[in-house]
Amino acid sequence: MTSKTVFVTQEGPANALALNKDNTQVVIAGRNVFKIFALLEDKFEEVCNLRVGKNLNLNFSCNDVAWNLIDDHILATAATNGAVVVWNLNRPSRSKQEHVFIDHKRTVNKVSFHMTEPMWLISGSQDGTMKCFDLRIKEATKTFYSNTESVRDVQFSPHQQYTFAAVSENGHVQQWDLRKPDRCFQHFTAHSGPIFACDWHPEASWLATASRDKTIKVWDISAKPTCEYTIHTIASVGRIKWRPQRKYHIASCALVVDCSINVWDIRRPYIPFASFNEHKDVPTGVAWRGDPQYFLSTSRDCTLYHHVFKDATRPASKANPQGIALNCKGDVAYACKISVNAPTTVKQLTSIMRKSPASNDTFCMASSMMHRFTETAPREPKWFRECAEGYLLSGRLNDICDHNAAVAITAGRNDISTVWSITKTLYANPLGNMLKSSPNVSKDDTVNTLNLAQIGIGSTVDQTNIGHENDVKSLQGEAPGVISGGDDETETDEMTENQNFIGPILPSHRRYLAGHKCQPKGDFFFGDGELEPITMDYTSGYIHNLMNHENDWTLPKEAFPLRHEIQDRSPPPEQFPNHSPDMNDNDSGSVTVEDQPCELIVTAVPKPLFWDPTQLIEEALRHHAAILDVQTSASILIALGERRKSLNIEAATQEHWLLEYIDMLGRFKLWEIATQIIQLAWMPSVSQLNQQSTTIHACCTTCTKPLQRSAWLCDRCHTSRHALCSICHQVVRGVYAWCQGCAHGGHVIHMNEWFESNRQCPTGCGHICEFT
Amino acid sequence: MFEAHSINAEHKDLIHDIAYDFYGQRMATCSSDQFVKVWDEDEHDNWHLTASWKAHSGSVWKVTWAHPEFGQVLATCSFDRTAAVWEEIVGEGSGSGERGMRHWVRRTNLVDSRTSVTDVKFAPKTLGLLLATCSADGVIRIYEAPDVMNLSQWTLQHEISCKLPCSCLTWNPSLSRLHPPMLAVGSDDSNASSGGKVFIYEYSENNRRWTKTETLSNVVDPVHDIAFAPNLGRSFHTLAIATKDVRIVTLKPMQDAAQSGLSRFEITTAAQFDDHYCTVWRVCWNIMGTILASSGDDGCVRLWKDNYVNNWKCVAVLKGDGTSAHSAEIPQIATPPSHSISGTQAPLSTTRNISIATVTAERPTTTILSTSKWQAPVIKGRFSKSVWLGNPSEPSLPPPPIIERPKSKK
Repeated sequence: MTSKTVFVTQEGPANALALNKDNTQVVIAGRNVFKIFALLEDKFEEVCNLRVGKNLNLNFSCNDVAWNLIDDHILATAATNGAVVVWNLNRPSRSKQEHVFIDHKRTVNKVSFHMTEPMWLISGSQDGTMKCFDLRIKEATKTFYSNTESVRDVQFSPHQQYTFAAVSENGHVQQWDLRKPDRCFQHFTAHSGPIFACDWHPEASWLATASRDKTIKVWDISAKPTCEYTIHTIASVGRIKWRPQRKYHIASCALVVDCSINVWDIRRPYIPFASFNEHKDVPTGVAWRGDPQYFLSTSRDCTLYHHVFKDATRPASKANPQGIALNCKGDVAYACKISVNAPTTVKQLTSIMRKSPASNDTFCMASSMMHRFTETAPREPKWFRECAEGYLLSGRLNDICDHNAAVAITAGRNDISTVWSITKTLYANPLGNMLKSSPNVSKDDTVNTLNLAQIGIGSTVDQTNIGHENDVKSLQGEAPGVISGGDDETETDEMTENQNFIGPILPSHRRYLAGHKCQPKGDFFFGDGELEPITMDYTSGYIHNLMNHENDWTLPKEAFPLRHEIQDRSPPPEQFPNHSPDMNDNDSGSVTVEDQPCELIVTAVPKPLFWDPTQLIEEALRHHAAILDVQTSASILIALGERRKSLNIEAATQEHWLLEYIDMLGRFKLWEIATQIIQLAWMPSVSQLNQQSTTIHACCTTCTKPLQRSAWLCDRCHTSRHALCSICHQVVRGVYAWCQGCAHGGHVIHMNEWFESNRQCPTGCGHICEFT
Repeated sequence: MFEAHSINAEHKDLIHDIAYDFYGQRMATCSSDQFVKVWDEDEHDNWHLTASWKAHSGSVWKVTWAHPEFGQVLATCSFDRTAAVWEEIVGEGSGSGERGMRHWVRRTNLVDSRTSVTDVKFAPKTLGLLLATCSADGVIRIYEAPDVMNLSQWTLQHEISCKLPCSCLTWNPSLSRLHPPMLAVGSDDSNASSGGKVFIYEYSENNRRWTKTETLSNVVDPVHDIAFAPNLGRSFHTLAIATKDVRIVTLKPMQDAAQSGLSRFEITTAAQFDDHYCTVWRVCWNIMGTILASSGDDGCVRLWKDNYVNNWKCVAVLKGDGTSAHSAEIPQIATPPSHSISGTQAPLSTTRNISIATVTAERPTTTILSTSKWQAPVIKGRFSKSVWLGNPSEPSLPPPPIIERPKSKK
């Protein structure tokens, strides 16, 4: 017995094949091929070529071939010219042709031998008839008129000796009794299209039918025909054959499109149990070798294949058994295959019924369960939404930064808050403010300085407004002291940036808390020197210093004499947000404050130097983009306003950030904010986003000409009557609010006012407008 | 904390894919039973089946939503060798109910493939209405709907042969003009000798062709799923791969690529987890790109989170049977690279209820055994500037007070 997949190529395609009764030889028949092969261990060996003789007429052109199930030397073929030809392999001459029945008027589609009566042969033809032949009589003994145009398949029942089934192109199935040729005893419509094949189940009282409607149906025809199973395949089904010893398995091949031979488990009718993809063109015939592991097939690609089940592909095992999806709320939707632990009863049952691998049973029990996991307190979406909704994006940078820092803190994003504060500090131009000495300006200045202090020293600790205020005051109080420190013009080479930041907060400042509450703003006026620490040398190195875990925030001893004992030690600075909030939560423990007192007094502050923070900001923005915090990058970029021009960030990158942020806002349905960003955008590709593919066509109410240039002036009749406000009778340029009931309206603000006190239309039309 | 809600999908066979729409308020499922179902969320967070139809004549492998600016549009692909585009239309309210009945109509059927179509994905919306499919015979096809208002007309723009059978594909979601259109394709070819199983294709505007720019040669096992992380303004790309383990790969465009025309990438494996101990079937990013979900034959979803220095940790394990949704606590002090002892660690506890990062600042922290095996992060480029804040020798230092609390005095 051959135990591997082998094939042999012929000069022409075969339309059908048949095995002899002990499954050692196979006959293939087609228009130009008619051969018998022996099945050897690893190859096909041609035993006989039946296409011999001087008269190679259409009798040799076969649609179907059948091998007698009892007499191993008798073959029958269905010829395309309407002949049914019987072949006797025992004939001594080269031509094995025994007899030609020329009873059919048109092509014969199918011939079939009776299983127990070797002399009985039945044929189904395109002329709509079936004929039963007795090989001894040499002519058709009975003719069955199907009343259909053509019979595509005819098969003797394995269960009842005199019964056969026939299927036809109009989708009907008929059951006939051989003894009653006048009419069929059962007739039903099985498919909506032509039925191309049928096959009796070897054990059960099932008849499978295959149709052009791409389905295979299994009918229980013991009583009233009922469709037990339906298999949906991907193409018209040309041939079907039940798999021996496997009750639920059936092999099928398509008539068109699909070159593979599929073996289905009818209990799982969606996906083939096994698939054989060796053929390059559609298969034309399938024959099992009486063993569930082996079968042969012919194809239009002129090959004859011997298939072995272990070489099959299993589409189901390649199929992805799981699905997973996350949405913007952090929900996880998950579907996975239910792992099958077949209940023991089922196992016992199946083992009684037949011996089949357990995998066959688990195969057809495939099902999925689906779960949705919701995060009870999703943090990221909350942050994002709160920040997006809260952020100010236009205005004065100081205000923006203050506001946004507060927003970020409320949203729980302390690190981002710090970024805003730092941004503000970096861009605060104290010198510029100082030149104007009006109290208002210096107040701003105060705030700047305050924030500096917050950042440098630990804004994260005092975050309430009161704490904020306190720091202001303390700074104010302290200012004179600093000034009094004299103008020691020490260059800061030796000083770390940290020290510079600590500088302004001097130990004694807390005393001044109360006293300076009402201090005039003008008093809080730094000399040139004091401003220096604010901006000086705040390079990226600072960040790394901060990040350095060796820096434990005990301040180095200074060369300056101590003026005071530090009574209230400075809290540690918030880290520069190189880390997620999580990390801050988790890791900030590593930045510790030793309880030893910080001993530092800055007695002198160096001269102001103009320092450009753009590089730092640029790095920060890029960093936040890299850690997927495009919200921060985009927001700061917008908030910077014109200052962004000095940033060395390519326009394409800026655009990228804005687009990604807008896209993300869209996911959260924060369209107002997205629109705001589009409007604030400085690059046309973004700012024109809202102008794309939105056209509202309006027509003049008097002449119905479409309004083209503007919505309030008609080009043809030169009136603006349609755009007048019902209340002020002026032309409404912009949003026109109108009632959908009476179509009157006007300026939004006027309408609003009117409907606060009235319910009727302002025009007096009497309509009770619904103003919502 | 995660709560598990069971959804009775009533698919008659395996569910192969779930997809949320852009807003996460609609969900589509597809199954081998050849049906696609659409679920909608109501105001009370309940999900309702709103549509169910037989979409194909074979198993439906994947379902995906188009960006909502193109309408309510789904694409599906199937074992029946086709991919289909579906649009939900609201019927003209003729009698039955005030609001018209919604139903899904097939706008097109893409029949070019000669084998099972294994994946289908819409391109990022900046590229227009583009659809990529890949098939079991290793052909990637790019379709375009030139008129976004006419979903029934799709033209096959490109056909790329990738030699190996394709199982999954993903578009690079970047909206940046600096990043040319990019696709990653995975193959489930089980023959390890056929080399890398993940291919990167890029579209070149100059010669109007898709070209294979990279093959991830260190992924030789069958790849079942692949997903680009949301880009969100990053200059580099992150790709998650489901193979015998979960991998996260970063692709950094090299600077010198500009003149050569073809971009080259510095490819780094950022993480690799084999916690599933079996085949990993799916990977999926959250929309922020901060959490990667993976699921494997062990029937668990594992959520992975990056602490921004390429140190990936398992933050939750969700059991697929919904009996319990367990998760690991985020180690309160992320273990620095030198601390991880991979391989010998206890398996993830599945009895602890999760709280993802609900860490109070003042509480003295204790080191929790890192539960995931992870690779030492490859710190390059940008990340080289990030230094661990934790002092490795003192992992249990109290954290400094954070901003919301009153000033701590000790």
